[in-house]
Amino acid sequence: MLKKSSVSVAKNRLKALVTSDRVHCMPDSYDNICRELFETLSKYMGIAEDNFNVEIERTHILISFSGEEA
Amino acid sequence: MGEVIVITSGKGGVGKTTTTANIGAGLSQLGKKVVVIDTDLGLRNLDVVMGLENLIVYNLVDVIEGTCRLKQALIRDKRYENLYLLPSAQTKDKSAISPGQMKKLTTELKEEFDYILLDCPAGIEQGFQNAIAGADRAIIVTTPEVSAIRDADRIIGLLEKGGLKRSELLINRIRMDMVRKGDMMSVEDVTEILAIPLVGVIPDDEHVVIGTNQGEPVIGIDSKAGKAYVNICKRITGEEIPFMDLNSDSGLFTKLSGLFHKG
Repeated sequence: MLKKSSVSVAKNRLKALVTSDRVHCMPDSYDNICRELFETLSKYMGIAEDNFNVEIERTHILISFSGEEA
Repeated sequence: MGEVIVITSGKGGVGKTTTTANIGAGLSQLGKKVVVIDTDLGLRNLDVVMGLENLIVYNLVDVIEGTCRLKQALIRDKRYENLYLLPSAQTKDKSAISPGQMKKLTTELKEEFDYILLDCPAGIEQGFQNAIAGADRAIIVTTPEVSAIRDADRIIGLLEKGGLKRSELLINRIRMDMVRKGDMMSVEDVTEILAIPLVGVIPDDEHVVIGTNQGEPVIGIDSKAGKAYVNICKRITGEEIPFMDLNSDSGLFTKLSGLFHKG
């Protein structure tokens, strides 16, 4: 089937909305937040972009990563 | 010493009042002494859902203003022993009571009742602030829709900020046939986003509408939604009850529709 399930559309919209509500930013800011956090941290730490993840929760921003592979 | 539970959602029309009525009936069926309070000033509804609209003499505002004694305003349910309603005022607005007054009232009720259930108005304004003031725990009602879940997330955030330690989620009106087709968010989809413990799931069930028409809780009717509410009540009292499998059903209609929507 070519049509995307409406649930996956709903989940993506919801995630963007919930994130922006939680931290009072624009719904599309999440990608920029991730990129800039990565750029900042990568100045000081050996981290790879593929293993870098940002989760915005109600009272925490969780940044998870696995270190540079040897 | 009783427990005060606020039933809230943010968005209107997701089933707070029906849920309050059914949990009230269910807990009283389990032998608990329960009072349900309609805190939606100006838009009284809980009395209608419970079929007690013709028995109202005094209301919440009368109690708070001291026009009557608390006992005079409590309406005893017709079907369920140990279930009482404190109705809202139809002609007053939110500003008629304050969070402090609500807290004082619920503290007084805790002496006599095992559970005090507060049916919260929609929104996040004073009516909401009043309802959560004396609450020990919260049940957040949502439906599997983007707007309802978004509002539930805000409510959970506000409750956390307000220092309420215990919030649990109730997902209402889920349709498993649509979930299977990928056209409705599943229980897992919703809990993943809201990230609070689940107290129960109520399937979309015509018996709820029929019950509401008659002013009767669905909990007394042999139905899926009724059973789901009974389970929720047991979980509220601390029993560990496994979640019902909403997919498997012995109903002929569901079996037939299952044949057409395989896979």
